[in-house]
Amino acid sequence: MSDSILDIQNLSLSFQGLTETVDVLDNINLSINRGERVALVGASGSGKSVIARIILGLLQSQKGAIVKGSVRFRGIELEAATGNQIESLRGREISMIFQDPTSSMNPVYKIGTIFHEILNRGTHNISKKLALIKASKLLEEVSITEFKRVLESYPFQLSGGMNQRVMIALALANKPALLIADEPGTALDVTVQAQTLKLMHNLVKKNNTAVLFISHNLGVVRQFADRVYVIYKGRIVESGSTSSIFENTKHPYTKALMNAVPKITSKSFFDASDDSSLFKQPAFHHKDREIGQ
Amino acid sequence: MPPILRLIVQRISLALVVLIGVSMLIFAIARVIPGDPARIALGPNATVEQVEILRETLHLNDPIYVQYGYFVRDISQGDLGVSLYTNRPVTIDIAQFLPATLELVIVAGIMMICIGLPLGMISARYKGQFIDNLLRVVSLLGVSAPSFVWAVILMLLFAYFLPIFPVAGRIEDIYVIKAVTGFLLIDTLIDGNIDAFFNASWHIFLPAFALALSGIGQAARLTRANMIETYNKPYIEMMRAYGVSQFRIASRYAFKPSLIPSLTIIGLDFAAMLGNAFLVEAVFAWPGLSRYGVAVILRKDLNAIVGTVLVISLTFVLVNIIVDLLIAFLNPRIRYSQRPK
Amino acid sequence: MKLKIKILLANPLSVMGLLLISLVFGSAIFADFITPFPLHKGAVVDFSNFNQAPNLTNIMGTDLVGRDLFTRIIYAFRISIMLGVVVLIISVPIGVFMGLLAGYSGGKLDFVLMRITDVFLSIPPLVLAMAVMGLLEPTLLNGMLAVTAMWWPWYTRLIYNLTRSEKEEGYVVAAEVVGASRWHVMFREILPNCTHAIITKMTLDFGFVILIVSSLSFLGLGVQAPTPDLGSMVAEGARYLPDSWWLTVFPGLAILIIVFGFNLVGDALRDMMDTDS
Repeated sequence: MSDSILDIQNLSLSFQGLTETVDVLDNINLSINRGERVALVGASGSGKSVIARIILGLLQSQKGAIVKGSVRFRGIELEAATGNQIESLRGREISMIFQDPTSSMNPVYKIGTIFHEILNRGTHNISKKLALIKASKLLEEVSITEFKRVLESYPFQLSGGMNQRVMIALALANKPALLIADEPGTALDVTVQAQTLKLMHNLVKKNNTAVLFISHNLGVVRQFADRVYVIYKGRIVESGSTSSIFENTKHPYTKALMNAVPKITSKSFFDASDDSSLFKQPAFHHKDREIGQ
Repeated sequence: MPPILRLIVQRISLALVVLIGVSMLIFAIARVIPGDPARIALGPNATVEQVEILRETLHLNDPIYVQYGYFVRDISQGDLGVSLYTNRPVTIDIAQFLPATLELVIVAGIMMICIGLPLGMISARYKGQFIDNLLRVVSLLGVSAPSFVWAVILMLLFAYFLPIFPVAGRIEDIYVIKAVTGFLLIDTLIDGNIDAFFNASWHIFLPAFALALSGIGQAARLTRANMIETYNKPYIEMMRAYGVSQFRIASRYAFKPSLIPSLTIIGLDFAAMLGNAFLVEAVFAWPGLSRYGVAVILRKDLNAIVGTVLVISLTFVLVNIIVDLLIAFLNPRIRYSQRPK
Repeated sequence: MKLKIKILLANPLSVMGLLLISLVFGSAIFADFITPFPLHKGAVVDFSNFNQAPNLTNIMGTDLVGRDLFTRIIYAFRISIMLGVVVLIISVPIGVFMGLLAGYSGGKLDFVLMRITDVFLSIPPLVLAMAVMGLLEPTLLNGMLAVTAMWWPWYTRLIYNLTRSEKEEGYVVAAEVVGASRWHVMFREILPNCTHAIITKMTLDFGFVILIVSSLSFLGLGVQAPTPDLGSMVAEGARYLPDSWWLTVFPGLAILIIVFGFNLVGDALRDMMDTDS
């Protein structure tokens, strides 16, 4: 596995409350290879977003969070329990795109200032002037032609779609090896979401950036990912190449997800109580790692 | 009209509405007091004719709205009447005492911002840890005693038991400073008398600190709460996800959005200080508006009371306009939408 | 609810606040039994024993006419608590009503009511109270009136802001759709959702009312002799600093203790409210 960028093993997470401990993640194993696009699919509350935050070390400082297991980046152990080793990689080697681009950018600073700060992570003590030139180029790459106006604007002055492009440009500014996209553009309307996803797709392909794509939308995942992990109530229930998952679905939850693509709110949607035989059904791992190996 | 200009015009016109209201309120309070102002002014020995003549010159026989008209005309010409206590025009009295009070309040305000905000930032950064709990108790103690109690305690500790600071006054008598602005800290510098400047600073430190303590506590508590709220915002998580250092987030990216809601309250604290200055001045024998204010209140010196309250309210309204504009300057959302939140 | 009490008691600061408040209330209620010289609450003189430093008989010393300071402080708690209760009972309903009315009505009424509120808020609290006090006779009743006059606008502003945001909530809109009257919506729908905020603010304010009243009497504009009052005790003692330090320090600390207690509990209530959402 010398080619692996990210390797998560036996990761579990629980929260120590005042009266009881709540298990959120249970023995997660997940790996991403160089330049590979991997999707993590599950309903909201299944634990997919916390995985992203553990990788970045954002969750470990939270009161009551107990993290166990190992997270390796390029073979280097990141000490997942504390998250301390991860800090120096953030923004340089690993970056992230958030669900709602507009609220994820500081409302009292101009886009140009945010670019300056982030580019400073890659090139220390970069001048504002140079940062703005670099930022203009990055914005051009995400098809923003009026980059001058954008850099002079505050996030709330731009449309959601525009902010999403800015967010993508920011995320790729320091040429990271791994990009985590947490439900990108879910807050946007469908056509804008499709456009920006396509843009992101082209850019990561060009830069050979590995992506962990977190989503509940199987339709999007099918277009975008090489490989898929399906997560349900904190456990991986099925994993494999996108084609085998979609064409040869094994786990009942994944099947339910597939059937529910257009009507996820319908009554008969998959629900297994924690001690039902359905829930205890073993995870299914498709033995077809043809992509990226 | 550019948004920022429109904002200024809007705020000033709103302030004018409020000032008119303040003048009506003070006028109303002044008119409901029992007793005839003319009789009070002339004393019990005056004849009925004398009282009647004064009533006529004071327009007391006219309908109430006509009286208010005269009242507004006079104050808009800067005429606040004559004080019964000092027998001088109230404007001259106030001009003499106000600078000392304002100097005290401004120094206290600077202390409040320079000490309170950093304490709040530290508290929020180390939320739930020992230092946070300690700072929370200290700032809560700060707001839990009236400033005269702090004044007495500080005086006892740092002027009597440890004689570091002077007990009373603005400056030692040996210095003769030409009054230009009335602010000793500025006048001494204009004079080029550095010794006198340090002497004045040394005198103002303890009273200003006593006055500032509750503001410091308030500012620290508020900044802490706002910073903690800001820390939960997605844009701070974004900054953390991109590896921006904790210090830079605390001092810049979380600080500025948190400062905006704090500022309004800091403006209100400034108002409270204008009132509390009366208490601190009484303890430290500070030659400001306090002694004058209390004296005229006890003597029911109508013109002087009305004038003092008006001037203090005017100061406060001005401070509020400045704070509002500062907020607009810091918060682009207000600057660009021109709509106050 | 049980969980909330558990959270409250898990925080040593809240427990300390509750203890301080109970101590103050308890000693005020049972002042006749716990104070060593109950008669000293009034105009008693004992010149053989005046201006004594703290000792075994008079643990906080005696004042300038020989009265036991500890006794007078405990009795002063009574006045302070009474003032706090009366001021809040009068000013909170007025402020809340104005806030509801302005926030829910909107339009011209909103503008007029809120400008009136602004007017009151533009005069520094203490100065407004001083002006009212000064123009009336400095009695206990007028003291309450003065402080009440400056207190209600704070509640108007609080409830106004809450009402403005609650007005848009689904439950209010639903009530309007089924044709509820505006009074029903204001008092039965919106008001119950503001009670948390009101109670928290009242707890904090109880301390601050005591603080302001003591400031007024410190300036000689409040409770008059011989009624024991913490503010006037500090004012009187301040003239005899530093030698008779106990005359100012103990009444001053007494004010600090009451206000601190209410602040601690108010903070705990606010934290509890935050965990709700």
